[in-house]
Amino acid sequence: MTPAGIAVLLGWGIFLSLFALAGGLFLLGIDRKLAAHMQARIGPPIRQPFIDIVKLLQKENVVPENAISGIFNLAPVIALASSILILFYLPVGSILPILGMYGDLVLVMYLLTVPALAMVAGGFASGSPYATVGAQREMVTMIAYEFPLAIVVIGVAWRIGAAGLSSPFALATIAATPIWTVVGPLGLIGAFILLLVLAVVTPAELSRIPFDTQEAETELAGGLLVEYSGRNLAMFYLAQGVKTLILAAVIVAIFFPWNLSGFLAMPPWLALPADLLFFLAKAIVVLFFAVTLVRVGMARFRITQVVSIYWRSLSVIGLFGLILLMADAALPALVGVGS
Amino acid sequence: MAPDEKKAPYTVQIGPVHPALKEPVMFTFEMDGEQVKTVDFAPGQTHRGIEWMGMRRNPVQIVHLTDRICGICGVVHTLSFSLAVEQIAEIQVPERADYIRSILHEFERIQSHLLWAGVAAHELGFDSLLHLTWRVREQAMDVIENLTGNRVNYGIVQVGGVRRDIAPEQHPIIETCLSTYEGLLEKLLNLFLEDRTIAMRCRDCGILTRKDAIELCTVGPTARASGVNVDLRQDYPYAAYGDLDVRAILPEQYIGETHGDVYDRIVVRLLEVGQSCQIIRQCLSEIPAGPITAEEKLAKLLAICKKAQGEAIGRVEAPRGECLHYVRMDGKDSPTAWKVKASSYSNLMSWIPMLKGEQIADIPIIVASIDPCLSCTDRVAVVQDGIRTILTKEHLHRLSVEKTRRLQR
Amino acid sequence: MRLLPLFPELVRQLFREPATNRFPAKYLPPTVTGFLRDVAAGRAQLTPPVPTPPEFRGKISYARDSCIGCGLCTKICPSHAIELLPTKKIRIWVGQCIFCSQCTSICPKSSLSMSAEFLLADEDRYSENLIVE
Repeated sequence: MTPAGIAVLLGWGIFLSLFALAGGLFLLGIDRKLAAHMQARIGPPIRQPFIDIVKLLQKENVVPENAISGIFNLAPVIALASSILILFYLPVGSILPILGMYGDLVLVMYLLTVPALAMVAGGFASGSPYATVGAQREMVTMIAYEFPLAIVVIGVAWRIGAAGLSSPFALATIAATPIWTVVGPLGLIGAFILLLVLAVVTPAELSRIPFDTQEAETELAGGLLVEYSGRNLAMFYLAQGVKTLILAAVIVAIFFPWNLSGFLAMPPWLALPADLLFFLAKAIVVLFFAVTLVRVGMARFRITQVVSIYWRSLSVIGLFGLILLMADAALPALVGVGS
Repeated sequence: MAPDEKKAPYTVQIGPVHPALKEPVMFTFEMDGEQVKTVDFAPGQTHRGIEWMGMRRNPVQIVHLTDRICGICGVVHTLSFSLAVEQIAEIQVPERADYIRSILHEFERIQSHLLWAGVAAHELGFDSLLHLTWRVREQAMDVIENLTGNRVNYGIVQVGGVRRDIAPEQHPIIETCLSTYEGLLEKLLNLFLEDRTIAMRCRDCGILTRKDAIELCTVGPTARASGVNVDLRQDYPYAAYGDLDVRAILPEQYIGETHGDVYDRIVVRLLEVGQSCQIIRQCLSEIPAGPITAEEKLAKLLAICKKAQGEAIGRVEAPRGECLHYVRMDGKDSPTAWKVKASSYSNLMSWIPMLKGEQIADIPIIVASIDPCLSCTDRVAVVQDGIRTILTKEHLHRLSVEKTRRLQR
Repeated sequence: MRLLPLFPELVRQLFREPATNRFPAKYLPPTVTGFLRDVAAGRAQLTPPVPTPPEFRGKISYARDSCIGCGLCTKICPSHAIELLPTKKIRIWVGQCIFCSQCTSICPKSSLSMSAEFLLADEDRYSENLIVE
């Protein structure tokens, strides 16, 4: 790679990181505002997460006496860094994944576990029983939702591959060919089911009600994060925001990859901000249905119920969707044989 | 040794201050994974010495002090104390005052049960339901405010009667509130009982069997949810309840069976909101005219109380169960003894059978399910030479034997 | 929606006005004292609190001239907030008052009454605003 190429890559990287941090906090603010309105409250102003971060950065950073301070302090850094890193592999608006040539959807799926693993490490290093229980629950939750998530990823990529496109796992391919355009009526239902499955996995990834057993305010007083304060908590908070953006970006990239500049002719200088704004709008809609509406409308599940929901109900639903997609791909061939 | 006993269980402490607990109490759980093996709890973290303060004041002053034992049970404690003093001083309470007491008592039950329902939803992580129930609870609070002058610490009950009358122009306000609640009740029952996530969390969770409920002397909705037919308003009527038609609410009236779990406690409390509405309506239609207090001149009332001698117990069915005040007066300004036994005191021990074998996730809702009010309960803390000791049954028995011997000498 | 009956209500609520009363302002101001200063100077608008009910028991008011100094109110005050001065008048420590209105009932000259004022927060419990005499 030429030095100029590296410089461009770095420039995009810095731009995307800043966009991830600001956009993530903005999405958290929108989420809080919408949730508040659904509960007949006014709620905090949308800039509240930014205020929180500023406040947290001014606060003392307490490390508990019986914590393993190295891991305890490293965990938030890893969580934040890895969540930003994931965004480099995802298309945002009309920006194609800047590291797209080095990784695909499978890598994203694996990277998604890194922030969660960092939180687990931080929780175990806290030396508090609440954090330990929270860390155990986080691991169990992770194991529970990985399988339905894998079904979605494989299902979509396989169908696109079956449509004759090369490198179906690459996000650039998925973004360029929306799944809805390659499938028939059976596949539409199948893809819709997979979208639902991904939407149900989202709250668990973001540890939101009803799948927030690892933080469970009324049970574990914050669980994993119970001992964190000041700068470390601010980093976890930022990581939470970035993760929210990423999950929205994953759903948008797989299922709603359209861009505004694709429909309307506009000059290139306008296309980038317009597409970014359109991306945020799509993210808000996706998060409203996948996170906000669900988290205000349900009670928290027990950890055993979380596992049984993901392993039994959701996996069966996901597999059903997968079978529909496969049938959809096989149908033309079968019909062709019959005639 | 059985194989599963080899695993050393770990200890989780919850409290005295914890988001799951609205009032301070300390739990020590021996855990095996997510499962509770043994439970121990230590109340007494919020003892304020109210009885000590009471024994330095006259009954008219104490009534307002009892108002502040608990933020929710303003009428309960004042009424219970007044009943005791009225028995000692042989004051005949006018009938109209009895009806007004009952009306306020039932409004208090409505707002207390709705408050509890909101807290229960919050413990389940269902904050929207918390906001919704507390929003509809405001109507009961507004009516109470209109009738007594304040939202909490009503200061409406006084020894010998009540301090404010219900004017005819206030009847429509009460009527509007009642019809709103009667309309809302079905919606609330639907939201709490038909919701799949709530049913998943509350059904067969925190079971208290009928046998345990009787043996542990539980009271109020906690006992009724286990199928024990107790309600002071039907068993030992006070105020206007003798004239009214009150039957204890049991869960089988709604679902036809009794599980004794958290879900049944929600059922009982929500149905009691409807029952309270009916009682208030009956009170309003039957309320007789007449004076609202036995003695209007407070100076005279003070003199009557000063002359009074004897002891009595005032019992009231609080929203949480039976509340009991023991008062002894010896012809002095202030009572020589005053003891409060709030309803939660009787219910606390039921935590142990309920919590055993449950998961960590269910601790908050089970603890909240008996509607513990620890500011009511924490009345006695034994401190001797700066060392807090716990008096066991054997110890207390030995002490009483020693005292009997001393008296026999 | 039979299994999750709250959802329709939540969506409806999204398009309705929130139930919260916006007292003193819609969002918490950076400093409350600064905000109150601004309100006093006319630079900011204070959203009024919920109106008090009839016969609300707020800060006590005292008609000094009609008081005969009988001291009945000091006997009946549950919180010992009323002090009988040597001048045969009384002083009320509002910081200690529990707003039971018992003194206003016993006063033979009706010199005491409860006003509707309730915004009594102060940094000093002995401030001038919290002593009535």
